Amino acid sequence: MQYDFEEILETIKMTEVEHFDIRTVTLGISLRDCADRNLEITKQKVYEKILKYGKNHVKYAQEIEKQYGVSIANKRVSITPASIPFDSFSADEFVEIAKTLDKAAEAIGVDYIAGYSALVQKGFTNGEREFIKSIPIALAETSRVVSSVNVASTKAGINMDAVLMMADVIKETAERTKDNNSIGCAKLVVFANVPEDNPFVAGAFHGVSEPEVVLNVGISGPGVVLNEIKSAGSVDLQELSEVIKKTVFKITRAGELIGKQMAKKHNIPYGIVDISLAPTPATGDSIGDILKAMGVEDVGAPGTTAALAMLNDAVKKAGLMASSSVGGMSGAFIPVSEDQGMIEAVIKGNLSIEKLEAMTSVCSVGLDMIGIPGDTPASTIAGIIADECAIGMINDKTTSARLIPAYGKKVGDFVDYGGLLGKVPIMDVRKLDSSGFVGRGGRIPAPMRSLTN
Amino acid sequence: MKITEEKIRELTLKAIEELGQNSSAEAIKLAVEKAIGSENVTLDLVNEKTKSTGKVILTSFGLDHPGIVAGVTTALGKANCDITDLSQKLMGDFYTMIVILDISNSSKSLTELQTELNQVAEELKIKVYLQHEDLFRQMHRV
Repeated sequence: MQYDFEEILETIKMTEVEHFDIRTVTLGISLRDCADRNLEITKQKVYEKILKYGKNHVKYAQEIEKQYGVSIANKRVSITPASIPFDSFSADEFVEIAKTLDKAAEAIGVDYIAGYSALVQKGFTNGEREFIKSIPIALAETSRVVSSVNVASTKAGINMDAVLMMADVIKETAERTKDNNSIGCAKLVVFANVPEDNPFVAGAFHGVSEPEVVLNVGISGPGVVLNEIKSAGSVDLQELSEVIKKTVFKITRAGELIGKQMAKKHNIPYGIVDISLAPTPATGDSIGDILKAMGVEDVGAPGTTAALAMLNDAVKKAGLMASSSVGGMSGAFIPVSEDQGMIEAVIKGNLSIEKLEAMTSVCSVGLDMIGIPGDTPASTIAGIIADECAIGMINDKTTSARLIPAYGKKVGDFVDYGGLLGKVPIMDVRKLDSSGFVGRGGRIPAPMRSLTN
Repeated sequence: MKITEEKIRELTLKAIEELGQNSSAEAIKLAVEKAIGSENVTLDLVNEKTKSTGKVILTSFGLDHPGIVAGVTTALGKANCDITDLSQKLMGDFYTMIVILDISNSSKSLTELQTELNQVAEELKIKVYLQHEDLFRQMHRV
C-alpha cells in the first residue's frame, strides 16, 4: 500500500481525537481604494468590497472541511488598518465605518472582522487621534469588529503617549461594555512589532504591503503535541525537541494544503501559514498541559520559561521546514482564559502576571486575555503595556497586551465569555504606582538593535 | 450531480437562443445560472476532479462483526468507485480497514459519497471517514 497503516491512523487520530483543526482561514482585503470624502459613499464602497470578495468565504471553507475531513474552526476577514484609508474622518464617522464593517461581517457569515487598527509607533496623524478616540464606542456598538493598535517597534521605539492613551481606551472600553462583562477589552490588543500578515483575531489586519486580497491560514494543535510528548516518555530534551518538531511539521503541512486549496477556490493569492499552537478552553487542547507534560509541576514553576522557550523554538523550526510561506506570529500562544491549564494554574495561585510577563519574552505573542481588577488605574495598565512593549522592542519580537480590567470585578472573581474566549480569572496586580514614569510622555528612543542598516 | 463544461456551453447556447441575439451578457449569465441551479449542482464541483488526482482514502473502524467489508464495498461499487488498494487489520475486537479509492469515474461527488457512506456506517455501527489523498501525501511524504 502507498501509505502505511500507522500513517493513516495517525492522521485520523489527530483530526478526530486530538482536536487538530485549522484554527482560522482569514481573508485579507485591502480597503485602500474605499475612501471618499463623502461618508455614505465610503460606507457603501467598504460594504460592497467586503461582500464582493468575502461572500463565498464560509461556503468554500465548509467545502474544504468536507474534502479533507479537517475541521476549520473559524472563518474570518481582515482589512487594511482602518485608520489609514479613512484618515480624514472624525471619531463619530469612524464609528459609522465600524458599524458598516459589522454589518458586512454579518452578511457574509464571519464571526469576527479584524483590522479596526492603527499603527502609531512613531507618532499620530490627526486622523489616528480621532480613530483611537472612536475605539471604545466602536467596540461597544458592534459585536463582530475587533481592534488593535501598534504602539512600539524595534525600529521606532515606544510611543509612550500612545501607550497612555491606549490604557485610557482600555478602561473606557471596559466601562462601556460593563453589561457584557467588559467584553470589548477581549476584542482590543495593543502591540509592539505587530506582524502585517497575522491571520489570528484579535490582532489580525491586512498590512499595507499586502496585495489587493490574500488568504492566510492559522493552524492549531496543542492537543496533538501534548499527546506526542506524553507518549514519548522520559526522553532527554534534545529528543523531546525532535518529537515536537516532527509533530508540528505534519500539522503545518496540513495547514499549508488547506490554505492553498482555499486560495485556489477563491482564485486569489495564498499568503502565509501561521504555525501557532493556539489553545482552546477544551480539555487537552492546552499549552499549560504541554508545559506540565514537559516536566514542570504546574505553569509558573521555575523552569516554565525555559520549557516554553524550547517549545516555541521547536514549533518555529518545524514550521519553517514544512512550509516556505511561514508568517504571522508562529509560535506558542499563552492566552490565560483560552487555556484550561493556565486557568487552573492561576486559580491555584501558581501563576502570576510577573511570571506571565517573563514567559512572553520567549512565546510568540504577549500578555493575552488577562483579567485584572476593574479599579486598576490607567497608569498601571500603561505600565504593564510599556513593559510588554520593551520586551518586544529589545528582543526584536512581537509582543502584545490584551488586558481586561473587568468592570466591578476583584481578584478571585471570574468573567465567563464562553466559546473560544473562555473564562477569565481576575489576577492580582501590584499596587505600586507607575504614573510618574508613564506620565512623562514622549517616546522611548529606538534601541541599539534598530541600527542594523 | 456533476456538471461538465460541455453542459454549460449547451445551456448557454440555449439561453442565447431563448433570449435572442441582442440580449445582454448579464441576462444570459442569469439564465444559465438559473438553469444550472434547477439541476441542483454547484459549479465548484466541476473543478474538483481536474485540480488533483481523484484519489480518496477511506478509513473505517469499529467492533468487528460479519458483513462490514461487504457493506462498505457494495456501496462503493454501486457508486462506481474504483478500489485501488485495500488493507485491513484486526486489533483485538476492533477491526480497521483502509481503502484507497479512485473516484474519477464515479457519478457521485466526494460530498455525496460521504453522506452515503455515513448511512452505511450507521447501519453497520462503524465509523467511516473519507478524505482526499492530498492530506496524507502532504503530512507523511516530504
